[in-house]
This record gives sequence, structure tokens and C-alpha cells, in this order.
Amino acid sequence: MYRDFNHRFILRITGALLLFESAFLLTAVLVSWYYSEMQEITFLSSAGISALAGGLAMVLGRNANPVIGRREGSVIVTSIWLVFSAVGMLPYLISGSIPSVTDAFFETMSGFTTTGASILNNIEAHPYSILYWRSLTQWIGGLGIIVISMALLPIFGFSSVQLFSAEATGPTKDKIHPKMSETAKRLLAIYIVLTIAEFLLLKVAGMGWFDAMNHAFTTMATGGFSTKQLSAGHWDSPFIHYILILFMFLAGVNFTLFYFFIKRNFDKVSTNQELKFYALIVLVFTAILATTMAGPDTFSSVHGIEKMIRDSLFTVVSLITTTGYGSVDYMQLEPLAWVLALITMLIGASAGSTAGGMKLVRVLLVVKYAYYEFKRIIHPNAVFPVRYNGSIVREDVITKVLAFILIYILVIIIGTVVLAGSGMGFLESLGGMVTCISDVGPGLGSIGPAYSFSEIPAFSKWFLSIVMLVGRLELFTVLVIFTPVFWKK
Amino acid sequence: MKIVIVGAGEVGTHLAKLLAKEHIDITLMDEDPERLRDLDANYDLMTRTGLPNSIKDLREAGSQDADLFIAVTPLESVNMTACMIADNLGAKKTLARIDNPEYLQPQNKEFFKKLGVDYLIYPEMLAAQEIVTSLEITWLRQNLSFCNGELILLGIKVRDNALIVGKKFMSGFFDHRRYRIVAIKRNNTTIIPGGADEIMANDIVYFIARPENINFVRDQAGKVDHKISSAMIMGGSRIAQKTAQSLPASINVKILEKDIERSYLLAERCNRALIINGDARNLELLRDEGIHETDAFIAVTSNSEANILACMAAKRLGVKKTVAEVENIDYIMLAESMDIGTVINKKMIAASYIYQLTLDADVLDVRTLTSADAEVVEFVAKSSSKIIRSRIKDLRLPANVNIGGYVRNGEGFIVSGDTVIQPDDHVICFCVASAIRKLENFFQ
Repeated sequence: MYRDFNHRFILRITGALLLFESAFLLTAVLVSWYYSEMQEITFLSSAGISALAGGLAMVLGRNANPVIGRREGSVIVTSIWLVFSAVGMLPYLISGSIPSVTDAFFETMSGFTTTGASILNNIEAHPYSILYWRSLTQWIGGLGIIVISMALLPIFGFSSVQLFSAEATGPTKDKIHPKMSETAKRLLAIYIVLTIAEFLLLKVAGMGWFDAMNHAFTTMATGGFSTKQLSAGHWDSPFIHYILILFMFLAGVNFTLFYFFIKRNFDKVSTNQELKFYALIVLVFTAILATTMAGPDTFSSVHGIEKMIRDSLFTVVSLITTTGYGSVDYMQLEPLAWVLALITMLIGASAGSTAGGMKLVRVLLVVKYAYYEFKRIIHPNAVFPVRYNGSIVREDVITKVLAFILIYILVIIIGTVVLAGSGMGFLESLGGMVTCISDVGPGLGSIGPAYSFSEIPAFSKWFLSIVMLVGRLELFTVLVIFTPVFWKK
Repeated sequence: MKIVIVGAGEVGTHLAKLLAKEHIDITLMDEDPERLRDLDANYDLMTRTGLPNSIKDLREAGSQDADLFIAVTPLESVNMTACMIADNLGAKKTLARIDNPEYLQPQNKEFFKKLGVDYLIYPEMLAAQEIVTSLEITWLRQNLSFCNGELILLGIKVRDNALIVGKKFMSGFFDHRRYRIVAIKRNNTTIIPGGADEIMANDIVYFIARPENINFVRDQAGKVDHKISSAMIMGGSRIAQKTAQSLPASINVKILEKDIERSYLLAERCNRALIINGDARNLELLRDEGIHETDAFIAVTSNSEANILACMAAKRLGVKKTVAEVENIDYIMLAESMDIGTVINKKMIAASYIYQLTLDADVLDVRTLTSADAEVVEFVAKSSSKIIRSRIKDLRLPANVNIGGYVRNGEGFIVSGDTVIQPDDHVICFCVASAIRKLENFFQ
């Protein structure tokens, strides 16, 4: 049965979430006040605008029918991310930190989608409160705007299931509680506990409390915004690097596994194939990358070997979890390292984590499926169902995964052509496209870890902002809006 | 409240969707992932693939913390075993769907309780009972009795010739000492009438009355009574068998079944009925078997569409009372508008029975009105209930709720605005859609 498109409900939800965003903006007022930066007015006015727009949208959308279909689900999630970025860029503009709208929008979208690609060239020069807001956008976007608000606000009602599945990552959506809002609460609790744990450890390891807080925010979100121009390379402490490695890795694990771990259901954790695959890939890539890092005097001291292993492990974990912190500049290494960087960015970490990319479970399923294709050549009549965690994966799930990967690669190819057409170089076009769709941060060439995105053309910035959103919402949610079938009555 | 449902068949799925809308944590388990497909992406519930009799799978579905464990797979013994396992794991209450009327006998209740099965439900039996009551008085769409028949709820489709048609409620025409009109179903909406409302032709009007006033209601509604002396049943399903067995001996029963093997089985089980091996959609056959002299036609095959069409054909051939089993919920309204006398929906009957187990207040009975998206509930008022504090008209009841009558010391009364409910009264309420939860607060 065809229903009219439910505009009112979209307005109501968006309005309520804007009020929610203004509450987040207000926390930055405290930071500004603490450091006496006179930025209170920036955040108060941003929060005011956000609340005003939210209130207006809620009034327009009052008495909305709470029943929505899949179409409204896609539009709600996409528009909420866009609106959040549009409002989230206000502090940059009002404070004058980022005067251009293009740059401010790029920076905010890069924040919410946890990409971490930045146009700032002198991060330390900016006020603390602005840097705090920049990290906070990543923390909100990490778990997902919808998931966080679902956990804290009872506004979604019956439509929560559709919205949750439009935002959550991975081919299968595991519920850990029959009620969606309860599932969201548990995920948020895990997220907060891990963030606090990392904050405390970083503080103990010698970071200042402001840096520790910001890095805890952006690590757990696998975002990658740092408060220092040199990123993690600013600190020369192995201890800090290992803490960051550990928490980046954890942020790339499926959050439901933490829940099973807390529930003492260790079987579920130890038999999880995605987790094993994750660990294996990290080890193999670290070993290969280490070979490109070995210099003439690396093996002359224990410290040299330790640093080689630590740097390659840091780089691999940072890229596969799509965080994008840098401790070394991989563009200074041999081209083999660039290729490895590109592949790890593409793969991404586990489904149901805060990471971007194609997700390991999809790669794993496709690898298995491809291998069984060979077996089928030898035994044409044998039945080889793809198994994952002991149960058989249905053919339609496999088809969906294959379609996802195909579209992912198609989008990258088309995007690379568009970027090259807008005036970017080959390495920059390809690297920029992959890093943005996988929400990593640093690209290749002149947008590599040592540089920023500030020099690319304005058109490319807008284009990449949208690419980041498409990648964060895993293609279908956003792309479906642009298909004719979506609008056909 | 946490409920685990095993068996994602028609009853299980319907119940899971119904309860998931009400802030109850639902886990639905089935061995066939195909049946669970897309359910958890569209409804706020959790699905799990697992064997109904595997201890490990039942534990993973959370049976140990369940307040209510419901086993509604098609197999009776599987349901019983699942309930026993769940009870042993720690489920507070268990319910099994069964297929054997012996189990329902009161003397066996303790035995099953000892085994760990608290409630038993036999949907086909409940459906058959509803068919049998609908044949007792043919001019009724629905006939439900409460408290040993002290009060009855009557659903009647009124035509132009009814005395009450065109009368407004404030006109004072309705004799509220003898009956009370609790709801009106017009087209697809159910209306709780207020003073300005008026009864129109083709409305289905729901009355609450005492049994001795039933003939008065019939006169007011302009109905004529037909006595049923012969019935024809299409399809030899379990409901058909139960119906044939429970119809009074004064009614002549013919069952038409197209499968020969099943016909022999029917002949063995229903020895009072005449079994005819043939397709009831064949009008030639119906005429040969004397459809013209038949008073009631009951279509209970597994095919809802066939049931509706066959009933319409029978109506055209002169049958006065038709009953159709319609399992597709969207078709119920359709069947209703096509003048099918009574519509039976097995899963709604079963679900409303199970639904009452999920209510906290002291509820004796919940009956669903198949055609009205409404429930009639029998609550027991307690000394602490909000309901006894003031007169009915001052209570500020939810808009889609109507209190129809109450039974005090074994005697039924019709309520008026000035009635004050006393503790231990049994109160019969009419609730549209899911208003039942709101009403529950008044009785806690």
C-alpha cells in the first residue's frame, strides 16, 4: 500500500536531534570558560541557532504520524547527518578559526563521519574550545548520531528499528537486546567505559588532561583528529603509542563482542571468526610493512627494532581501523608501503565497530565464497555453503555482500575520475577517494599524513564531504535516495 | 516484561508483532531462518534460529529470565517438551499449544503444572467454540457471554428496518436499563458513541445486555431469528472436526473434503457427520448435496480466499448464515463488507487468549472482536483500584474505552454514568485498538 511521504515526522525527528546537538555545543562553553578563551559567545550563539532551528522544525512537525517506511528511514538518517554538519560548522565560522564555508563544512563532515581528514595547517594555533568541539564531533559520529540519541532520548518510538539499521554498519545487524533502545544503551555504555579507560591511561602515560581527553574521543571513534600538528608523532613515548594502538584496535572490534565478554559468554568471543581474521590481517600487514621500514642501522639496537615494529604496527592499526593517526609518514617509505596503506584503508575493521571501510566480515565472506568457487570446479555437484561462526550464510546475504563490494569499488573508480577531472593529481585523486569513502583521514601524495586537504579545489572538498557521508552510512542508505525507484509512486 | 516465543508460525508471529508494540521484550525463535527473515529488521523484537527442544538454544534465547515462555510450534509434543525445559531453566510461566482436548480437562491441570506447563492453548478448539456459538443465534455477528452468562455482548449488523437506525444517543430512545450500546463499527472504524452520534444502516452495533433482554434487543435491531437445523462445512481441517464434534445433535452436519484419505479420517473421527468427498467450490456438487435446504455454510479450509468466495456463493444459493475462516488479517474487513455472517481468525483468537496473560491487573477474560480491532475484557476491581473512587462519568476514562456492565454478587447489571464500581465487581469493558493497557491502570 502506498503512503504519502512522511515529511512531518522527518522534521520532528530532525528538530529533536538539533536540540540534542545544542546540548553538546553547550559543553564546549565550559571548556572555553575554563581556559578563559572568550569563545563562550561562539558556542552559546551556535547552540542558540541549533536550538532555535530544532524548535522550529519540531513545531512544524508536530502531530506527525509516527509510522515510517524504509524510504523515510533513509532520508531521516541522511538528512540528520547533513543537518548536524551544517550546524556543527557554526563554531568554526563564528570564531573565525575557519573562515571559509567550504572548509568549515569539510572539517565538520570529516569530524562527524570520523574521517579525520583536516584542512587545518596549524592545529596548535586554534583555541582549546574549538579543538574540543572538533574532537567531540568525532566522538558523537563514532557510535552514530542516531544510536547515541536513541540511547538517551525516547523519541523514536516504533520507527527506531528502521533508523538503527540504516545507520549501523555491517551486513548483519546483531541485536543484543530485543528492544532497540536497550541495545543502543548497552552499546553507548561500552563506548563510554572504553573512552574513560583510555583517557585515564593516556593521562598516566604522560599526556596533558586536555590532550588525553581529545585523543580518547577520537581514538574510540576511530576518527583521527589530533590536537597536535604532528598527530601521535608529537609524543616520543612508546607507552603512549602502545595505548593508542590498543584502543584503536579495540575500537575496531565488533561492540557486541564486548557485551558478550561482560556477560562472561567467552565462547562467543573466542570463536568469532571476524575477530581472528582481524588479528591475523593486522599481524601479516605489520610484518610486510616492517620490511619497508628497516633502514641500515635499525638492527643495530633493540630500540631500533622495537621502533620499527611499533611504527609499522601503529600505521597498520591506525589505517585498518580507519582512524588515521600518524606516527610516521608512510609517503616517505617505498611505494610498497603506499599500496599496503591503500589496501588496509579499503578493508576496514569489524562490522558493528566504529570503523569505516568495507568491513572484515564482508571481505571474509567473499574470500570464502571465492575459494568455494574453486572447490565447485572440482566437485560440480557438491554443496558448499559458506559458513560463518558455525552457521550457514544464506545465499541472499552473500549476494548483498558481493553487491556492496562491487558498488564500493565502482564508487571509488567514478570518484577518482571526478577528482582527477577537478584538477587533482593521480595519487591524490585515488588516495583521497579511498581515504574519504573509508573514513580514514590521510590520503596519498600531497594529501598524505604530513599534509592537509587545505590545498585541494573547493569543488573537490564538497565532493569528498559527500563521499565521506556515503562511506559512513555504508553506501545504500545515501545512494538509494538518488535512484529513480526511490521516487517512483 | 520479557517473553520468549518459540515457533514463528501464524500464531507466534502475530503474537510477537502485537506484543513488540507494547514495550515488552520479545524474543522469537524458530528452527527455520526463512520464517524469521526480515522480522527483526522491521519490528522491535529479537529473532533467533534454534531448535525448540535444544537446551542450549533455549538458554541462548533467554528462556531462563523469561516472565512468560510460549511454545506455539505445530507439534504438540515439541511444545510440551520446550515448556518443560524452559520451566526447568527458570521461566516463570509457560504456555504450550496443544492438539488434544483431553489435556484441557480440569483434573489434568495439576499434572501438567507439575510437569512445568502452566497454561495450555488449543486454538482450533477455541475457533470451533466460536463457530458453534455463532450458530446458536444466527442474527448475531458476535455473541460473547461473561460471568457464566450473566452478561452478554452482542454484535449485530443493523439494516434500514431496525428501530434504532437514525436515532441519536441523546434522543433518549435507547432503553439503557435493558441494554447499553458500547461501540459501533462503521466502514473500517470503530466508534465509541457519544450523545451526538447516531446509528446508521449497515453499522455493526455492539450491545451489552442481560440474557433475558436478548429478544428485546433483537426487536430493536429489526432482526428475525432463524433456527439452524442443518450445516455444511467446507474443508476437513482440525477446526472443521472440532466444530462437527461440538455442534448439538439437533443439527445435521455435512462435511465436504476433496482429499479421499482425509475423508476416511474424518469419517472415523466425526461419525455423526456425513462426509462427502468432493470440492465444495463446485456449485453442481453443492446443489446435489442440497445447499438450498442448508441453513448454515461454514468454510474453514486453509485458503482464506476460497473460504470467502465459497461463502458468497452459498449466500447466493440461499444459505442464511455463513461462517468463513479468514487467516489473512487484511482480508477481514473485506469479508465483513461482503456480508459474511461471521469471520473466524484462529490466530487472533489464540493471541487474545495469550495476551491476557501479559496483563498485570486481575483480568479474567479477554476476547478479541475479529472484525472491530477491539477487545472485550473482564476486569476484577480491587479495593485499591482507581476505578472504585468515583462515578463512571467522573473517571476520565481513555477515549477509546467504554465500560459496558458489571457483575456484582453473581448478578449482572448494565452501567450508567452514575454507577460506582465496588471492590470485587467483575467489570466488562470494551477497548478499541490497544487501549487495554491504559485501562489496566484503573484496575491495578
